[in-house]
Amino acid sequence: MDEAQRGETIVVIDDDHAMRLACEQALAKVGFTVSTYADGAHGLEAVGAARPGLVVVDLKMPGLSGLDVISRINAIDPTITIVVITGYATIGTAVDAMKAGAYDFLPKPFSPDELRLIVRRGFERRRLQMASQQCEIERELERRRFVTFVSHQLKTPLVAVHQYLDVLRQLGETPEAAAKRQEWLGRCLTRTDELRHLIDDWLTLAQLDGGLLGRQRTRLDLSDTVTSVLQTYEAMAARDGVTLTAELAEPIPVHGDPTCVGVLIDNLVANAIKYNRRGGTVTVRGRRAGGEVVVEVEDTGVGVPPDALPRLFDEFYRVRQPGTPKIEGTGLGLPICRRIAAEMGGVIEVESIEGTGSTFRVRLPDAEAAVPVPATGRSS
Amino acid sequence: MPATDTRPGTKTILVIDDDADFTATVRSILEREGYTVVEADSGAEGLRQLKACDPDLVILDVMMESPTEGYGINEAIKYSGDYDAFQQTPIIMVSSIQESPDDRFPRAAEVDMIRPDRYLTKPLDIPKFLEIVRKVARH
Repeated sequence: MDEAQRGETIVVIDDDHAMRLACEQALAKVGFTVSTYADGAHGLEAVGAARPGLVVVDLKMPGLSGLDVISRINAIDPTITIVVITGYATIGTAVDAMKAGAYDFLPKPFSPDELRLIVRRGFERRRLQMASQQCEIERELERRRFVTFVSHQLKTPLVAVHQYLDVLRQLGETPEAAAKRQEWLGRCLTRTDELRHLIDDWLTLAQLDGGLLGRQRTRLDLSDTVTSVLQTYEAMAARDGVTLTAELAEPIPVHGDPTCVGVLIDNLVANAIKYNRRGGTVTVRGRRAGGEVVVEVEDTGVGVPPDALPRLFDEFYRVRQPGTPKIEGTGLGLPICRRIAAEMGGVIEVESIEGTGSTFRVRLPDAEAAVPVPATGRSS
Repeated sequence: MPATDTRPGTKTILVIDDDADFTATVRSILEREGYTVVEADSGAEGLRQLKACDPDLVILDVMMESPTEGYGINEAIKYSGDYDAFQQTPIIMVSSIQESPDDRFPRAAEVDMIRPDRYLTKPLDIPKFLEIVRKVARH
């Protein structure tokens, strides 16, 4: 017998003594634990006490009818699988039994093999049902954990600001307060900025997920997008001692929402600068390749440890590297990039060597892939 | 990391929290009351500091690198056997998330042993926080 089912308990309820005996023998022989009852009342008592995995019940009995027994078993424990047997087999009674919650129907007379087959199938269905219920419970738990986690992320900067202000207020006009005021108010501003970015990014993600963003399809030249993004980061790169370089084929035609494409490139370039080192470089390469366009953003920064790579595109995930200064960020930039790339029918990949640098590669459908590319193909 | 003040009679409080701003305010509050504050910005660093400074009280954040890191640290101190000398060190858990520690410690038989001494929600109610610190810190 199926080893997984060995020892499973079955209750048989039938007013016919010979039928009870036949069922018990057929099922006990292959390893099931079987108890039998001559009427519905005693059978239900046993079901309530022993919680069997499966009940075999006769439909036509004196006292409680089989249909009543079925609905009461369901009230005791809806996961108990019920197999109906009866000598008065008609489509009508079968349908009634199934409606009342029976799993299957076996007309008398039946062979031991037929009974065993239907019982095994019943247990198998029960197993699948319980596994799927378990999955559902875990999904719900996961959802709740995520909601808790998001509210924690949103509260953290708020808590910091609140405490700075509260402590400053309590310090009053002491020399200690005067010494700290400027620094702490500066930190408050930094944390409120952080909260603002967090909410902006969270909203962007929600809009992407809700289909409110990214549905606009305009023909764009990614070379233009990259060039203008790099311009906006010139000052930040100069401040950090990072050199920005572009190696772009022109044009790089894609279909997409201009705002989203801008956010995608912007996030990748910003990361490449933030996670770089003084004297490092950021190189953005763009080319067309066999029906798709490829944009790579390569940095010479801290890189990503191999164990962090699988989680890099998870919401709020931040790589922590001991000994390196904490880098400001919401932990939502890369999840946003991944959603935008997916929305445009593409993918984003990462290769990284810890301590050497990372390359983020976006592959998107070429907007002109299906048609010959005219020499004056630039669209913007 | 500032050097640990080991003046006799000064109580040492170890603050384990990955938010430097939260730690800065807690440090200021506690130092005004005459406590010596030692900081750790991760659970692992916290366990190292625990052994190094033998604090009279630990303030422990729940969500650090992982969403339950603080609970793991609390359990390690009280239950793993690696920190037997600090099993009686009082621990106040802090988090911006309000939840009952009872939900976290379902194993009834072990609850009394591994349960933190207090669970406080951030932002801290400062007068109440100081009152609890005075009450809970090792005497």
